[in-house]
Parts: sequence; C-alpha cells; structure tokens
Amino acid sequence: MPPQQSLRTLYTELIRSFTAQPCDINKCGALLSQLKIGLIEAGLLLPQGEPNLNDLLVARDILEIGAFWSIRARDVPSFDRYFSQLQTFYTDYGSVLPPSKREYPIRGLNLIRLLTQNRIAEFHTTLESLPLSADAIAENPFISHPVNLERWLMEGSYSKVWNAREEAPAEEYKFFVDSLMGTIRNEIASCGEAAYESLPLKDAATLLFFPNRSDLLRFADERGWQVNLTSGTISFTKKGEEKVEIPKQKLISASLAYARELEQIV
Amino acid sequence: MKNKDGKKDEEKKTEESKTPPPPPTPLAEIKSNIALIDRAVSTLEPRFTHRVLRSLTALRRRTDAVVLRNAIDEIYPKDSTTRKSLLSWLPGSSDSGSSMDIDSSGKSTPQEPVPEVEVYIRLVIIYTLLSSSESYGKALQLAKETGERILALNRRSMDPIAAKVWYAVDRAYELGGELADARPLLLSAQRTASLRHDDESQAALINCLLRSYINYSLFDQADKLVSKTTFPTSASNPQYARYHYYLGRIRVVQLNYSEAHRNLQQAIRRAPQPRTAPGFYQAVHKFFIVVELLMGDIPDRSLFRHPVLEKALTAYFDIVKAVRTGSLSQFQATLSKHSAQFTADKTYTLILRLRQNVIKTGIRRLSLSYSRISLRDICHKLHLDSEEDAEYIVGKAIRDGVIEGRIVHESGWMECAGQKRGYGPEVSDVFGRRIAFCLDLHNQSVKAMRYPLNAHRKELAAAEGAREREKELAKEIQEGELDDEDLGGDF
Repeated sequence: MPPQQSLRTLYTELIRSFTAQPCDINKCGALLSQLKIGLIEAGLLLPQGEPNLNDLLVARDILEIGAFWSIRARDVPSFDRYFSQLQTFYTDYGSVLPPSKREYPIRGLNLIRLLTQNRIAEFHTTLESLPLSADAIAENPFISHPVNLERWLMEGSYSKVWNAREEAPAEEYKFFVDSLMGTIRNEIASCGEAAYESLPLKDAATLLFFPNRSDLLRFADERGWQVNLTSGTISFTKKGEEKVEIPKQKLISASLAYARELEQIV
Repeated sequence: MKNKDGKKDEEKKTEESKTPPPPPTPLAEIKSNIALIDRAVSTLEPRFTHRVLRSLTALRRRTDAVVLRNAIDEIYPKDSTTRKSLLSWLPGSSDSGSSMDIDSSGKSTPQEPVPEVEVYIRLVIIYTLLSSSESYGKALQLAKETGERILALNRRSMDPIAAKVWYAVDRAYELGGELADARPLLLSAQRTASLRHDDESQAALINCLLRSYINYSLFDQADKLVSKTTFPTSASNPQYARYHYYLGRIRVVQLNYSEAHRNLQQAIRRAPQPRTAPGFYQAVHKFFIVVELLMGDIPDRSLFRHPVLEKALTAYFDIVKAVRTGSLSQFQATLSKHSAQFTADKTYTLILRLRQNVIKTGIRRLSLSYSRISLRDICHKLHLDSEEDAEYIVGKAIRDGVIEGRIVHESGWMECAGQKRGYGPEVSDVFGRRIAFCLDLHNQSVKAMRYPLNAHRKELAAAEGAREREKELAKEIQEGELDDEDLGGDF
C-alpha cells in the first residue's frame, strides 16, 4: 500500500530527527503535520473497531512524540490536543496494546499542565481516573512529582516546590517549572502582604527566591510595595481595618421577606 | 416492619420445606402478584405494580427453579409459545417438569396473560439465575433479551417493571465481570426511555450508568452524563438517594465540597432505614465524614456511636481524631494503618487531601493558646520539615484567614492577635439562611398536605351548623339579657 509505505518512511524520519541531539523542532513539526494527515487517511488518528495492532502502535508512537514535541516547542494547546487523542490509545486500547514507556511521563506532564493553569478540580479528576493504586502513584516518579507539587502548594510549603524544580523526572517537566515559579511568587507575595508589616530586603529576596536585588525591586514595584532603600526594608501597605459596613439593603429586604412569609402563615 | 414480616415468612417457609409436599408459599405469592399486575394494567393504576415490586427482594430469596416452573405452568396456557420460551431458561430436572404438567393438565387452561406478567416472570428468573455463579452467563443472556423485548413492546404500564429489569441487566453484567460492556446498551436504553418519557426506567438507567462510570473512576464522563441529562423529578426515593450519592462522589473529586456535602446529606435523608439497607447507609456516611473534614468541620461524635455505623466507621473515627488534634504524625500513622480499608472504600486519595486541614487545625490551636510563639516551636510541634516551611505555611494561614496575627521575621516568631469578634454581618447571613430553611420547610409541608375529597363540604356543613348554633346562642343570650334586664327591672 503506497500511503502506508509513505507513512513508514515519514515515521522513521520523525524518530530519527526526534532522537537526534539537538532535536530539530521545526523539522519535527513539519513531519508531524504530514504524519497526522497520513494517520487520518489511514483511519488511525481516532481508531475505531479493531485495527491492526502494529498500526496502532505506530500511531501511538507518533502521537506521543507529538506530545513531547509540543512541550519542546512550548505549545501547550497543541499538547492538550495530542493528549486527548492519546487517551483513546491509553484507555480504550489499553488492554490490547503493550504498555508504552512514554505513557506515564505524558500523563504526568498533563497533570503538571493542569496544575500550572490552576485547574485543580480537573487535576484531581484526572488523578482519580489513573489506573494506578495509591501505592503505585507514590512509586511512579512521573506521577508522584506533580502529586507532591500539588500537596505542597496547597499546604504552603513553597520552599519544597522550589527545591523540587531540579528533581523533575523528565526534561520536558522543566518547561512548566518557570510558569509554576511565577505562580508561587505571587502566592508568597500575597501571603507576605497579609502576614508581615515590614521585611528586610535581603530576607524578602530569599523568601521570594530572587537571586538578585534588581529583580526583587522590579517585583516590589509591580505589586506596589513601599521600598525604603536607606533602612533596607520593604513595608507593606496595610489595607487597614476595613470598616464594617452594615448591609442595609440586604437587611431590609430580609426583614421584608420574613414579614411576608409570616403573614402567609398567620 | 415489612422486613420483619418477610423474615418471618422465610422462617416459616424453611420449617415447611422440611415436611415434604405442602404447596410452597412463593408460588401463591407469585400468583397473587400476577393477579395484581393484571389489575394494574386493566385499571391503569401503577400503584398495584409498585406493590408487587416492593415484595421482589423478599420473594427472590425464596424462589427457585421448581417454584417458577410451577408458576409458569399454572399461569400460561399449555400451547403458549411464551410458556415454552420462559421454561427454556429454567434449569432443572425434566421429571419434575413432567409431573407438573400432569398436575396442571387437570385444570382449565387459563387465558394468555398480559406481557407485563411475562416480563415480571423473566425478572424473577433473572434473579434466580443470578443467585448462583454458574448461571451468570445465562442470566446475562436472558437479561439482554428481556431488555430488547421491553423496548419492542413499548408499553407505559410496563415502566415500573422495566426499571427493575434494567437494574437487573446492570447487575448481570457486573456479576459476569464485564460491567463496562453494559454501557452502550444502557446508554441506548436511556435515550429510548427519555424519548418515551419513561421516568422510572430513566432514573434507574442514569443511576446504573453513573455507577458504572464511578466504578471505573471515570469521573469526567460521569460529570458529563449528569450535565447532559435531567434526573426525572418523579423518581422514587431510593433512586434519588442513589443519584445524590453518586453526585456527591463526583463533586467531592472536583473539590466542590459544599455541593458534595449537600448531595450526600440528601442521600442520607432519602435513604431507607439504616437497618433495612445498612450497606448504603455506611457507604454514604464514609464519604460524608470525609467531606465534612475537608470542609473544615468535625463530624458529630454521636455519628460514630450509631449501632449500624459504629463498626464500619472505626477507621474514619481515628482520622477524625487525628484531624481534630491537628497532629500530623498521628494523621500519618492512622493513614498508613488503615490504608487498605481506605483504598477499598475509594476514599484514600480524598483523605490524602486532608493533610493541609490537619496543619491548619494545628496552627489554629497554637494561635489560640499562645500570644507569641517562635517559628522553630511551630515547626517542632506540627512536625514540619523546616522553619522555612513553617514561615510559609503560617503566612498562608494568615492570608487565608485561618488565624489572625502576623509574623515578625527579624525575631522569627509569630504574634497572634485576639480572636475576631463573633458578631457581624455574617451572623445575620447565617440567621437568614436558617430562617429561610424553616420557612421553606413550612411551605413545603403545607404544599405536601393532602385533603380528602369533599371533606370541605362536611366542614362547611359543620361551619353552617356552628353558625346556626351561634345565632341561637346569641338569640338566647339576647333574650336572657332581656330577661335579666327585665328581672333587674322587676327587682
């Protein structure tokens, strides 16, 4: 079959250029879009029924490479698409196909993606649907990494998150680390505003994981902190004791509602 | 009460079965049930069918192939094709069958009954087949065929029975170990049921599907199903209880705790008596307790003393204790001790989420008892890994409003401010919510009141009478007064 044949050659070429050091992002992208068209023509992009096992394996491989490629090309929406296409292979054909060694890295990447986009509810839904027991999750480095990150974020152990950025189980995980760090800094900053009255510049830099002073000053400026350079401290504008206002409108309408209901009862 | 009666019957039956031939009670029950179904169909009153189905649980424990064979023999005319097809599903020795043939041949051949009867008998046969593991395959085959037959017959008077059949289909698939395979069939049946406004089947089918999804942890799909379907409002209480339970489980995974709490509470309220269905009661409570903890509440102590729950909830009780004291080490110990049970209950990942609540409780306790405490001490008392962590965690707690206070970084301690005053606009909010609940309850109960027909006529008559009497009384008084006055005048 000529279309299958051309798919094969493209596929081997993709693997070659993907595994090459350094990997050629542009070339991979071009190959991937050709391959996807090929897969659609062969009816393998979203397989139905009982196609050939080898074809399925190849299709899965291509999509997995696509997912990794999207991360390397810093294209998160594309990763999202590849991941949803891969779901079919992982769940519906999971019992037929031999397990892929890239499956858990990709699932883990998806979890981190949800975490960085602050989609915690989906994060937990996805986690629940993983075909792993609780112990297996703890043992699987690809999955336990995002799970731990989420736990630390929720507790507030930000330093652990910071330290874990070097322990990423796969190269692609580091892509998300930067955006995660941005989230953490904002979290710490908002905590700091509530918890401190003033903070020495040096300590603020360590708390916020800033390597140098200028970065810190820029960040402080963004958040509107008052920096006192002579004494070397940052003071946070206290929002003051918010004046408690009596919600007149609400109280009146509530009282009226009670009166109306009581009227009905009597 | 009903259950007790059922048990008594059962005891009676076992006693009877020891002394040979007397006719078994299940046969008589099936026959009376069939008469009821017939009446339901002819009078268009689903009430009778419901009555029949209520006794199904008790009945199916007492029936066996022989009883069914007798029943079918007596109900169906001898040359009926339905009779043959029904009998073919029954396992059993042929000689008993032939002897029954002789028995029934003496009687006049009865009329061919309504199709509802056939489906009902099929339902009982499915349950009989499901009682032993060898006949699961056969039960599944029969269940599938019955489902098709219901769809083909399309009779509204069959809906209540159909709902039960769909549940049996689901159960047959599950016992056969291929619950996931039932989904396409159930989904198409659900579509048909909703098109035909068959509320009872629809409720049962939605629950079956949710159960199947949640069993495989496919919360995404389950959530989509819930959002795409409307649960029929006329569904029966047990179906509602199940639906709320599944909804609660979906919501808790999505971190929507208040919604989950509401649903689980509804499930508990709508569930049958704890003694009738202890399994459901316990399962709901397990999730209910975890959700309460996740919301930062501590469940009632009395819950753990409930006779039905006490034993099942011991592990959860330990967790509650650990969260209450805010001790991370105790929490970890309890978690690892009971991890097998939590995994079996599918609450393990939810309980893992409780870790942050434990820390929060711990910090709140510290902030209440100390006016100033060093970060090192906090770290030590809460078993945190480092002072640095403690600082971040306390900072987050302050921001989230768990405690009032501030951190003095230079000296490395936390200063706790006094407690918030317990009075403010939020109090009136809570008050408003409670009043609204009471008023709603009142209005609902007024709406739910039933008035017997024409009762108001009697009342009117009574009122009329009263008015008459009043008039007389007034007259008398008037006269009396006059009398008095007259008397007075006379005096």
